[in-house]
Amino acid sequence: MSEAEAASPFAGERAPASPRADLVTAAVLFALGVAIVQQSLAMPRFVEQSGTGLTAPGIVPGFYGVMIAALSLLLGLRAIRRGGWSAGGAARRGAGEGRRLLLAAALGVLYAGVLVGRVPFWLASALFVFAFTAAFEWNRGPERRARRILEAALIGLGTGLAVTLVFEKLFLLRLP
Amino acid sequence: MTDALSMLAGGFGHVFSGGAAFHALWATLIGIVIGALPGLTATMGVALLTTLTFGLGSDVAMLVLVCVYVGAIYGGSRSAILLNIPGTPASAASTLDGFPLARQGLAGRAMGISTAGSWLGTLFGALMLALFAPSFGEFALQFGSYEMAWVALFGIVIAGSLSGGDPLKGYIAGFLGLFVATIGQEANHAYARFAYGNADLAGGLGLLPVLVGVFGVAEVLSAMRGPAVRAVSSKIDSVIPRIRDVTTYWRTILRSGALGTFIGAMPGLGEDIAAWTSYAAAKRASAEREKFGKGSIEGLMAAETGESACVPGAIIPVLTLAVPGSAPAAVLMAAMMIHGLNPGPMLAITAPEFIYQIVAMLIVADVVKLFYGLVLVRPLLWILLIPRERLMPVVFVLCTVGAFAITSRLFDIWVMLGAGLVGFVLRELRFPMAPLVLGIVLGDLLDKNLLRGLVLSGGDITPFFTRPISMVLCALTLAAALWSVPGVGALLRRRQAPMPK
Repeated sequence: MSEAEAASPFAGERAPASPRADLVTAAVLFALGVAIVQQSLAMPRFVEQSGTGLTAPGIVPGFYGVMIAALSLLLGLRAIRRGGWSAGGAARRGAGEGRRLLLAAALGVLYAGVLVGRVPFWLASALFVFAFTAAFEWNRGPERRARRILEAALIGLGTGLAVTLVFEKLFLLRLP
Repeated sequence: MTDALSMLAGGFGHVFSGGAAFHALWATLIGIVIGALPGLTATMGVALLTTLTFGLGSDVAMLVLVCVYVGAIYGGSRSAILLNIPGTPASAASTLDGFPLARQGLAGRAMGISTAGSWLGTLFGALMLALFAPSFGEFALQFGSYEMAWVALFGIVIAGSLSGGDPLKGYIAGFLGLFVATIGQEANHAYARFAYGNADLAGGLGLLPVLVGVFGVAEVLSAMRGPAVRAVSSKIDSVIPRIRDVTTYWRTILRSGALGTFIGAMPGLGEDIAAWTSYAAAKRASAEREKFGKGSIEGLMAAETGESACVPGAIIPVLTLAVPGSAPAAVLMAAMMIHGLNPGPMLAITAPEFIYQIVAMLIVADVVKLFYGLVLVRPLLWILLIPRERLMPVVFVLCTVGAFAITSRLFDIWVMLGAGLVGFVLRELRFPMAPLVLGIVLGDLLDKNLLRGLVLSGGDITPFFTRPISMVLCALTLAAALWSVPGVGALLRRRQAPMPK
């Protein structure tokens, strides 16, 4: 692997986001901050119980709400100064990346949100691992596809059974 | 001194009484594998194992978690050296000299340096922990509500300022974490905040389902979104560490050990900052500065020693203040609370032996790590070659088991999914995750102490600023915040050598 291909240690969390993305994020966070403050003000104060009202449940989240709103305002102002109004949208990633992300998220939600709790855990896990592996390996071309699908089924079944046995019998955990 | 030594001996006795060797062997191995696999981090490993070992006794669970933590930070260097991809963020600095060494056909020697540096780093940090934690714990007994509120706030601010990336986003992430911690019933009037009549929300969002979501699910999504990692086949020479590499660079090892431990002890900074700082300090002091970035043994040794010394360092504030020094230490602290071990200033009074048990666990984990460093070369290469399409769904299944394990509520699985999706989006928008975790973990501490302080003073906020320790903590918090203000920070940083790019 050449150095040009290698991931930079400053990528990921250390690379800056686009000004437009920051501006939109700041708007959403500002709305969240204001909503937290409004909800905190609407909470009961319990003045009769405490005598002073200093134990009111809304004080602490209200403070956080104010801070989130104020800091997101700063983020928004900085994004505008960086050209957030005029700059184009966030750098577009390839369509393939978006598709892979959506597929992974959809399968994850389907498994953890729908299957788990409705079908036996070992079966749900086996189906999920099989579907995930088979779906992501589908595009590797038709040659040896049948073999890959068989391997995916075996990995799924193995995972479902191994996880159930190890965690129920060895780690004494309850499974969904 | 004699007391300390006998307590340390007691700690070893306690650790070895429960089949420790077996648990340390498998847990350190799991830690190394998790650390080595790009996309799986130490925080995720500790979070997952916290939930998966919930059914075991607290002694075994703590040993397992310490071993996973120590192993994962070390394991990250394997992929840094062989693939030029840090297995955990902590190993980013190791890629700078580790990978060039591997390209020169010295992958084995690089791994030997990493093993020696990491082993000595953790050992140094563990000794510092044994030396300073008990006395610092006793000092921390003077902290009242006002001081503890400042300590929590200081943790958020310093994690936001220095945890890498954008300080402003770091602060926002920290306050978002604090907000998440307020959901559910509060302590004074049992009023359910932000619950809207929902019984599950009234119980609060479980700390570990949120962390498993933010670090597990979000990482699965990130790994599947990006391009596949291509492994290199590298010829591997002997991985036995050379005594000369250690004796030549003993100053670097000591300096990096001290820096790593100190940075670990600062709330929320963590192993990656420790590695970068040790690397930068070694470069500044080195006579072979030009070799840095091109395969410098000293550079790799500094990064590895620094990141591994940070692990025990990060546990010091957990045991003395109940404030974690890094993201994995935050999860470790949560695990201690779940097992009823109550970390914090009172630990020096209620269970002083626990500090030495943790030191013994760290040393056991360190020795097992050294063993694997010498024998586990080929198998780890095979593990690095497992395609993510086959690994990630299994990780996702483990996350689901982990989220459900503690309270057996399906609601927690939904919390994990929600936290995973939100965490993924925040990460994409370049919000650092360390302040978020710290916010979630410190939320309860800040909430209780802020209100308790206000009640004690009858609504007067001056004690927060006028009590001696409060004043110092307030000044430190303000200094940390000022450091990140453009202009002020630049003025202070101008005297320092730039960080490697």
